[in-house]
Order: sequence, then structure tokens, then C-alpha cells
Amino acid sequence: MQVTLKNFTKTFDDTTVIDSMNLAVNDGEMLALLGPSGCGKSTTLFAICGIHRINGGQILFGDRDVSDVPSQKRNVGVVFQNYALYPHLTVFENIAFPLSVRGDSKPDIEREVRAIAALTHIEELLARRPAQLSGGQQQRVALARALVRKPDVLLLDEPLANLDAKLRLEMRSEIRRIQLETGITAILVTHDQVEAMSMCDRIAIMNKGEILQIATPTDMYRAPVNKFVAGFLGNPPIVMLEGRTSGDGRFLVKEGTSLPLPARLAGMPGDTPLSLGVRPEHFGAAGANRVEGTISFVEPQGRETLFDVTLDDGVVLRSIQPARDDVVFGQKVVWPLDAEKLLAFDVSGRAV
Amino acid sequence: MRTRTCLLGLAFVSPALALLFAFFLMPVVLTTVFAFTNMSTSTGITGGSHVITGNLLRDLGNAGVDDDIVAALSEGSFSVTPETLAAAAEAGVEPRFLGEIESSLMGQSFEDARSFESALKALPSRPTRIRDIKLATEPFERSILNTRYSSRAAMETAIASMVPDAPVDTVSAIAEASYTGWRWIDGGNFQTLLDRPETIRIVLNTVFYVAATLAFNVFVGLFLAITTFYLPKTGAGFFSVLWLLPRITPVVLYAVMWKWFTWDNGFLYVIAEQLGLPAFNYMKGSVPTAWATIILVNGFVGASFGMILFSGALRAIPVQQLWASEVDGASRWQQIRRIILPQLRWPILFVTSYQTLSLLSSYEQIWLTTNGGPGSTTTVWALEAFNTALNNYTGNLEYGMGAAMALILVAVGLILSILYLRMFRFDELVNKPRIEF
Ligand SMILES: Nc1ncnc2c1ncn2[C@@H]1O[C@H](COP(=O)(O)OP(=O)(O)O)[C@@H](O)[C@H]1O
Ligand SMILES: [Mg+2]
Repeated sequence: MQVTLKNFTKTFDDTTVIDSMNLAVNDGEMLALLGPSGCGKSTTLFAICGIHRINGGQILFGDRDVSDVPSQKRNVGVVFQNYALYPHLTVFENIAFPLSVRGDSKPDIEREVRAIAALTHIEELLARRPAQLSGGQQQRVALARALVRKPDVLLLDEPLANLDAKLRLEMRSEIRRIQLETGITAILVTHDQVEAMSMCDRIAIMNKGEILQIATPTDMYRAPVNKFVAGFLGNPPIVMLEGRTSGDGRFLVKEGTSLPLPARLAGMPGDTPLSLGVRPEHFGAAGANRVEGTISFVEPQGRETLFDVTLDDGVVLRSIQPARDDVVFGQKVVWPLDAEKLLAFDVSGRAV
Repeated sequence: MRTRTCLLGLAFVSPALALLFAFFLMPVVLTTVFAFTNMSTSTGITGGSHVITGNLLRDLGNAGVDDDIVAALSEGSFSVTPETLAAAAEAGVEPRFLGEIESSLMGQSFEDARSFESALKALPSRPTRIRDIKLATEPFERSILNTRYSSRAAMETAIASMVPDAPVDTVSAIAEASYTGWRWIDGGNFQTLLDRPETIRIVLNTVFYVAATLAFNVFVGLFLAITTFYLPKTGAGFFSVLWLLPRITPVVLYAVMWKWFTWDNGFLYVIAEQLGLPAFNYMKGSVPTAWATIILVNGFVGASFGMILFSGALRAIPVQQLWASEVDGASRWQQIRRIILPQLRWPILFVTSYQTLSLLSSYEQIWLTTNGGPGSTTTVWALEAFNTALNNYTGNLEYGMGAAMALILVAVGLILSILYLRMFRFDELVNKPRIEF
């Protein structure tokens, strides 16, 4: 089921949280709403499922305008950040709840609940109560309850935020597996770019109630539309250098260092103010340009090692490389820089 | 060292222990003690003395004591003894005459006034006026009737002197019966209660009162809490305060308001009259309206109590659960019945148990409104106990009987508390420990 927001506007009292947002989620797609805390992701999600009334615009499920349809009739499944399981009901009763309020027959309920419990791997937990489950198990139950009535859309609000690191990794792939197996249209709200990139077909990145860019994770990573997106994606994050073009295909960082510009920007007139973004994987691996500096920080991460390299004039570049221990703190290095991969943004922050 | 710290600790908690004893245990202990006595206004709560009264003599006669003995006890006699002589001197009998009485009549007794008078007339210095002679006889009269003896032995001696030929056990039985103080009567009060025909009526009244008021408390409390919960925030605050009014209004004022509301020419009366409905004093005019008044008066106070607790419990339910139930397709009613009410189970049980206990022992509102009437149709156990022990029209307050009634109330309350506590504990057992892996 395709979900479309047209000029969606939401205000709380006098503050406009979302102003005229447009978004289309394709049928069967899993889309991430990614953005920093407080940018309006949950608000958007709750508007889609009908918990919040919208103050302007339209919400369409397929061709059907559901803007004024109460949440009971929208047929959406929602997984809340704290799971919102019903503490007085068993896992079975929790999952059966959407079916039993609909008035399904006992055998039907039994069959559907067992099927969804099998899909989410919680068959052996059906007799327990939520308080007797671990975080990951509660997560699976919440997912099962959201899916049991075969909703048109699945909405997930920060589903992994309350899990520990290991469970988060496990549930990441589990949610994606279940979404792919059911082929359901899903919207995942998250502030974690790794989650968004690893789980979703496309990402809609938001800031201050506004969608900045909608793209596949790879495209968005490779070609962010602006500085905010470039900075939000990537871990360790991109390094931004402020400076000006030299006019002859180079970039003068304001501290003094001169770096090459990508070929596509070589023709830029001189003295244009720019921000140059250097991702850590594009420094120290390959490239025609050599940059000299001193190792000022080493952070081994197991498979990879992260370095900070301070150039002579104080500019710090970051480099991530397959684990190596031949380079130590204080050592002078001359590492290649892949100039073609550099990102450049104009004074307003837009990519150029 | 250890004992010293122990003692120090004890010293620190002793004020609390003293208070606990004074305010929690003492009332129960005293009630228990009183319940097994016949204490009343006439017996007093300290000791008594031994007196034979006209009433007692009548009772003794009815109880089969020999008529001669009863008659002898009711009569007076005249005897010249050092005590009576002293009394006569005090009463102002002329000393010479007194001296003659002493010397010639000392130790003699006379059965009636006439024979004593003629003996006196025989003395030389007798007064000339008959009236003075009569006056002079008075101090010599010794009657057991209405005379106070401080001990039982003194009473027995007095009886024996009046009726020397009475059998010893009759004498001691009469002395026993003449005791005016309170005495232990074992289960006498409880037996009386069992035998009284009104008892069953009062029990049924109490059960009905508690059950109906409780139902009103819980249902209206729930209704108010849930409707307030779904109201917008601003309105909710106003309504919460409104529903609290019955609880924060002083009870007397509140009762007066109800009187004004239900009495002759009160609010309801006038409205009913306008509408052509039967108009009368609803509070005391008929049994159903009297009950309705009592249940509403107490019901609104309890309902506001329930509402506060239920509202708190409602707000403790995470809003996401309610959202979840809505997107799961639950209507408002299904949400209330299947998500909210089950989670209010403990507050509901708590209000039920707490209110059962407080309603069982409450009588103030009834006392201030219908006062158990019409007749005794709305008299409940606590009110009857109060009237018996502390508020009797005849003026004879039966502390012992009242305490016995109160003790029954305490026992019922205790049994119910234990039952309720077991119910509370039961759930903890059901809640198995959380398994984390
Ligand atoms: N019920 C509400 N009343 C008023 N303001 C709200 C309400 N819910 C959210 N907001 C505001 O809307 C903004 C977006 O919130 P939200 O959608 O929850 O952010 P997030 O992206 O972290 O999920 C925040 O500034 C928040 O303070
Ligand atoms: Mg949120």
C-alpha cells in the first residue's frame, strides 16, 4: 500500500512542528524517517496512524484519503518505542488483541496468532506476561501484535532504541527479514543513521520538521544534498573544512593548507567561499594527492583503526583504515587523499 | 555494648510504642473489657456500693425470695445504740432527755414507731409536744432501705440484723443483688443481642447499607474518573475539584445541605411539587427515599475518594498503551473494558476493602440525616452501638452493651481485613519473577 503525505501540517497549540511536508512511500518499501531528536519524526508517524489529527494537508493510503479516518479504521500496525504491551494480558492475548476487538472467531485468532508467533520466533513465550520477557522478546511481541491483523502499513517508532547493542544488531536484521517476508509497506522512525542505512530501502532525512532529502542509503551517503545530511550520515563523521577556491583547481583552507578540488569543480572562479567535506575513508587509502601530517590520535576499533592527522597549520583530518599498528601517536605520515570523492558545499550549505 | 545499643534503640522507639499502645491498642482493649460487663450510667465505670432499693425488693419478691423477708427488709426499726444516740445528739435532741434514753433504753429495739414513742413517753424529761417526740424518734430509726453499705460484708450484717432468721444463702444472694456497681457478665451482652428481635433487622440494614453505598462509591468513582480522564485537561481540573467538594465540606455542613435539599419545602420538594410529583420530606418521609438519601449522602463522599485513587491509577497507565489499543482497532468502550479496567483492579479492590471497613463503622452521616428513621428502618449497627453507648434518650447509657456491639464490628472488620489482605498478597504470588536472557 502506497502512503502519501500531501502538504501535511501539524501544530501543537501555537507551535508548528511540521509545515507542509510531502512524502511518498512506495508499496512494499521500507522507508526510514531519519533525523535528530525533536525534529518531528514521531509526530509524522502518529499522524499517519491517526493518533494525532492533522492540521492541514492530506494523508493518502493508496488512493484513499484517510485524513479524517479514526485510527481504529486505518488498519495500520504500530510498534511503539516502549513497546506499549498490555501488562495484564499474556503474550498470546496481547497479540490476539487486534483480532479479538474485531470480533474474529476463536479458531481464527488461534491460527493467526500462532502463525505470526512463528514468523517472529516467539512461539514458546505465548503463555507469559510482558513483565516476564526481556527487551528483545518484548520487541518481537510488539512486532507480532502490529502485524497480526495484516495491516496495510507498518509503522515503527524507534523500535531499537531501548535495546542493548547486541540485541539491536539482531533485531535490526529480524525486523528487515519480517518486513521482506510479509512485503508490507513500512516506515521506520529512527535517529540512528546506521539503523536507517542498514534496514531501509530509502531514507527520508528530516531536520526541524522538514524533509531535506529522500534517497537510497548509498545515494544519500555518496551525494548528500547539503552539509546537514553529509554531517548526519557517516560514522566516524565527515570532516568539514572551511575555506576558499584558489581559482586554479585547488582549495585553500582558511588555516593555510591547500588541498585539491574534485575535477568537476576545477573550473570554479577563484575566491569562492566553500566548505569541503572529507570522509575518513577517503584519506589514507588511495588517491593521487599526498598530504603530510602528524598522527595526533589513534583509536583501534578491532577490524579498523581510526586516526586523527594534524597538518602543519593545525587542520585536523580523519582517516579510517583496515587495522594497522605500524603507525603510532606522534609519527609523521604522508597519506593519499582521494580528491574526486570530496564533497563541497556553498555558503548556504547546499552541495555543489 | 550490644545491650546498651539495644536499650538506646528501645528508648528511641518508646514514644512511638507508647502512642501506638495509647491510640491503637487501648481502644480495642478497653472495648473488649467493657463488652463483657454491664457498665452503664447507673453502674458507673468505677466500683459501686451495696444498696437495697424499692425496685430491688420488688425484683427479689418476683425472683422468689420469701415474702416475709422482703417485708422485713422494707420496714424500718428503732433501736437505741451508741450510733443512733450520737445521731440524735447531732439532730439536736435535748441532752437531758437523751441521757434518760441512754440510761433506760440502751440496747433495746422497737419494731415500729408507735411502741418506741410510748417507751419515750414513759421517760420523765420527755418533750411536752407530741411533734417533738416524733422528731426525737427519727434519728433512732434504722432502715436498710436505700442505705448505702460500702462492702458486701456490711450489707450482709445489716440484712442479718433486720431478718435474723433468714437463711445464710438468701442473705448473701440479696447482698449480691444489692451491688450497684458494674460487674462481669461474661457473654451476657452477646446473648442479649442474639435474643433481641431487632438485631437481625439491624444486621440486614447494615449489609444493605454497606453493599449499596459501596457499589455507588466504586461505580460512580470509576465513572467520574474515566470521564474526567477523557476530558480535555483544563476541564478535568475543574471537575476534579467539583467532585471533591463532598469530601472537603465539613460533615455537618454537608448534612445540612442535604437536609435543605430533601426536607419539607426544600429544593427537591419544591421541584416535585411544581412537576406534580409526590412531595414530602424525602429524608424521613418514606423508607425508600430515606435509604436513597443515606446512600447518596455517603455515596458521594466515597465516590470522590474512589475517583481520586482511580484517576491516579489511570494517569499511571502509559499513554502509548491507549494509543496502541486505538490503532489495534479498539473502540473507546473496548479500550475502557479491556485495557483500562483490568489495570484498575488493585485500586478497585483497595477502594472496596477500605470503604467496606469505613462504611461498617460509620454512622455520622446517618445520625445527622435520617437518624436511623423512619422508625428504625435505616438504623445500622454502628449507629445502634453509638446510641446504646453514648446517645440514649432514656439517659441510661449502656456502655457495656455498646462496647459489645462495637467489639462485634471490630471482629467483622478484622476478618474482612484479613480476607482482603490475603487477596492482595495472592497476586504477588501469581506475578512470577522476570526471566531475562
Ligand atoms: N503533544 C505535544 N504537545 C506539544 N508539543 C509536542 C507534542 N508532541 C511533540 N511535540 C513537539 O513537537 C516536536 C517534535 O516532536 P517529535 O515528533 O516527538 O520528535 P522526534 O523526532 O524526536 O520523534 C518537539 O519539539 C516536541 O516538543
Ligand atoms: Mg520520537
